[in-house]
Amino acid sequence: MKTLVNLKVNGRSRQLAVDTRAKLAEMLRDELRLTGTHIGCGTGSCGACTVLLDGRTVKSCCILAADVDGQEVTTIEGMSKPGELSPLQRCFVEHHGLQCGYCTPGMVLSAHQLLQDNPTPSEADIRHAIAGNLCRCTGYQNIVKAIRAASEQQ
Amino acid sequence: MIAGEFEYFAPKTLPEALRLLNERGNDCKLLAGGMTLVPIMTLGLAQPAAVISLNHLPGLDAVEDVGSALRLGAMMRHAAIAVHPLVLQHAPLLAAAARAIGDVQVRHRGTLGGSLAHAEPAADYLCATATLAARFQLQKEGRERWLDATEFFVDVMTTALEPDELLTAVEIPKQAAGSGHAHQSLRRVEGAFPIVLASAQIAPRYTAARIGLGGVGPRPVVLDVGDLVQGGVTPAALEGVGARAFDAAAQALSDLNGSGEYRRAMARVYARRALEEAAAALGAGGSR
Repeated sequence: MKTLVNLKVNGRSRQLAVDTRAKLAEMLRDELRLTGTHIGCGTGSCGACTVLLDGRTVKSCCILAADVDGQEVTTIEGMSKPGELSPLQRCFVEHHGLQCGYCTPGMVLSAHQLLQDNPTPSEADIRHAIAGNLCRCTGYQNIVKAIRAASEQQ
Repeated sequence: MIAGEFEYFAPKTLPEALRLLNERGNDCKLLAGGMTLVPIMTLGLAQPAAVISLNHLPGLDAVEDVGSALRLGAMMRHAAIAVHPLVLQHAPLLAAAARAIGDVQVRHRGTLGGSLAHAEPAADYLCATATLAARFQLQKEGRERWLDATEFFVDVMTTALEPDELLTAVEIPKQAAGSGHAHQSLRRVEGAFPIVLASAQIAPRYTAARIGLGGVGPRPVVLDVGDLVQGGVTPAALEGVGARAFDAAAQALSDLNGSGEYRRAMARVYARRALEEAAAALGAGGSR
């Protein structure tokens, strides 16, 4: 069963006939080939699939693609121009805020949301902000350092 | 991809949603934030023939001041409730409960009505709304009714909602300025689901006090402890409130997160903590 969806992804208007059973994360990856959005657990625990929906972070594996009609989605690909890194992404590189990189797109989007809402977060604020993003290899220490460095550069 | 096929509906008006619900109530699921429904459909634990999304209905995501109470639309997201000025002023306990739920992304999407209708016994809103003596607006085609918490919450994950009924609003009595409140929970880690919860609401000068408990039985439990705190939150009052919470948690169920006995012991601890924190906030006037 297909449902027609009109949405804006990374600033570009799109019209897609999506399978009603598809989640937003699957539509982004399989239909639009925006594979920066990762699917980890698929049930809302790990945060690897975090994207912005109308400017607020959500877990795109827990939202039906059909249900975002009329909305605006920003993925990790929309965080910077192709071939470039945003200052926040640069901080993740410089502070070794990633190792395998699987959680990184979600981490970057959650950090982006935090810095939008609170440009001068404390360490507790940073840890609170990434509570919905699991990392299983880097360890959180350098991720927190990277986000703090980005906040200091703003 | 969710394995089972289902029809998807996105009504744009409340009458349209109620009509759909009237036609499809027995084989459909209502989709609010989807923070529980979409994962359980992904896991195959729910296989509805139809999904009716409430995400495109206007008007169910606002707070209305109705005099002695606030009326919150059932589609209000947790993040909006947590920071809403009217909620922070008149029912800050509800804002505290909203802040405690899940993580940032879940709070951006999950809704008040979705959580209440799902009625997981240890959900933050069950404990908080019962403590605040909330009333629940249920609508179906041609009928509207209001229930209080003792009527609305029926059993584990079971409410008084009939298959063709929709929870549309929650009304919370305004708390007097200078009241104290607290929302305490036992969780394995931040973002994990609560194991035991205690909410406390104390009126100025200790003229009334209520403790709500969650996760200690099939439904939220509310204790009127006004008689115990007339002279303030003394060691004897804390002892008495703890004992009452322990007694009230006799029905606590066991699961992988803890035995019933453990939950019962924690009900005593968290009831006391909530009462102490609420007492410390008395007269502060603002939100915590």
